Amino acid sequence: MNYILHLLIYLDIYIIITMSLNLLVGYGGLFQLAHAAYYGIGAYTTALLMVALGWGFIPAIICSIIITGCLSLLVSIPAWRFRSDYFVMLSLAVQVTIYSLLYNWTGLTKGPFGITGIPKPTILGYKIDTLPNMFILSTVIAIICGVILYVLLRSPWGKALKAMRDDELAARGLGKNTRLFKLQAFLIACSMVALAGGLYATYVSYIDPTSFTLDESILMLSMVIVGGTGNFRGPIVGALILIAIPEILRFVHIPDAFAANIRLLIYGLLIVTMAHFRPQGLAGKYRFK
Amino acid sequence: MHILINGLIQGLLISLLAIGFSIVYNSTGIFHIAQGAIYTVAPFLLFSFIKVGTGIPIAVLLTFAITIFLSMSFEKVNHWPLYRKEASTMIQLISSLGIYIVIIQIVAIIWGNEARVLRGGIDVTYNFSGLILTRSQMMGGIISLSFIIIFLFWLKRTNSGLMFTALSDNPIQLSLIGYDITKLRLFAFGLSGFFTTVAAILTALDIGFDPHGGLNIVLIAIVATIIGGRGSFVGPVICGILLGVIRSQVVWYTSARWEDTITFLLLVLFLFVRPQGIISNKGRLEVL
Repeated sequence: MNYILHLLIYLDIYIIITMSLNLLVGYGGLFQLAHAAYYGIGAYTTALLMVALGWGFIPAIICSIIITGCLSLLVSIPAWRFRSDYFVMLSLAVQVTIYSLLYNWTGLTKGPFGITGIPKPTILGYKIDTLPNMFILSTVIAIICGVILYVLLRSPWGKALKAMRDDELAARGLGKNTRLFKLQAFLIACSMVALAGGLYATYVSYIDPTSFTLDESILMLSMVIVGGTGNFRGPIVGALILIAIPEILRFVHIPDAFAANIRLLIYGLLIVTMAHFRPQGLAGKYRFK
Repeated sequence: MHILINGLIQGLLISLLAIGFSIVYNSTGIFHIAQGAIYTVAPFLLFSFIKVGTGIPIAVLLTFAITIFLSMSFEKVNHWPLYRKEASTMIQLISSLGIYIVIIQIVAIIWGNEARVLRGGIDVTYNFSGLILTRSQMMGGIISLSFIIIFLFWLKRTNSGLMFTALSDNPIQLSLIGYDITKLRLFAFGLSGFFTTVAAILTALDIGFDPHGGLNIVLIAIVATIIGGRGSFVGPVICGILLGVIRSQVVWYTSARWEDTITFLLLVLFLFVRPQGIISNKGRLEVL
């Protein structure tokens, strides 16, 4: 039972991540590979504020959301000018830079040793330290994020974002400020992933830079791609499938040494098959341009 | 001086990879990340063939045959069908990434995750009036330099090379004139596989190899290609060498941990200041 709860908490965290990435990839058409970096910044700021300064969970999370939101300018400003390949490369540059900062800025982040002993979240004097409570917290946060995104994407803002994705020049021709839309989309997506990062940090209570590598970004992206982009079910299905695969593999008796490799192999195969036969993903709506 | 020479040799190898990438990128527009898979597979194949006891020349030949075949099969199985479906560049990129992951994992399953070396013991060194180079470094420098010169000569002087330049310039026009684009694209992938394998084996000879370094090194080659200028073949070569030198200087003055950061910051700088690259065709790209 505890194990299932553990998986569900992971699922919640990844659903937040994929939903926010879907806002960029599926609704904004902004294909990016820096999401793990923002996840990492969220996790690190929350952890550092809680461990080093002794802040509570809520102020730390809010502060990390603000910091990550400001740093989202790093990808949103390039997005004003660059698209497709070039933008992917730029977001990759951001990912690599932030990762190496996390890894090398030993004074602040303790580098490869990571940050240990992150306290469990306390909300309104109520300490959330058991698995069921943590599950409730993460589910509540995931639902809140989902509702925010749902409302946003149903609003005129969401429609304009889609218009920008489908034809940016036309959207600009109609007087929409696409730069502002990109800025806002990145702001929202990055703050949301920071929230997921904070949740992850407090749940696992130990973080190190290896959780926020380029591979992690690729994994997040493949969740979105496999699940589907451009609607609400897609990312949830994607997170569900890619979290379920390693668990299903447990029942097939493969040697431990290969387990991680087999898992990644299946991810890769899924991506290639999806690209060929269902570019909009399993439950998605939008095909990349 | 030492660092400069080391950087130059590293740069020549990056140039080879950048050529391998830009051949595909210029002529098909595909972001060829799966190149990293070939880069990873090549030394492992050579290692196994030598271990089986085929003798070094045959082992090298077999390795080249397999990697070139592999590279062509990427096009045949993946990119060409997607092109026929008019898939977007993003889909091509994603599928290439998928192939990269699949092949890397297969390599890791077959040969294990640990790093290996191709040669045993300490390398032979040569001393040129104070400048000490190892044999594999010398081989790396000389072989890659000669391949780059041959490639550029082929590109500019022979008919097939010119056809290739035309392909990178305007593929639709070329096919309208009556050339077979399918073959040319296939050839591009084969050539890319060849150059990647050369670079991979030379690097493996010098510093060893493991299954997980492919993506990183290809990203550097991509940076060199973008800085060098889209549509150009000379630009990536120059930038590859430049990147090699800069990276080795960074290692010397700060630490090896900042190598990649500096590389990518250079990319950002270039994309903002001179998005068309060092040697460019007319016009700015991807700018609204």
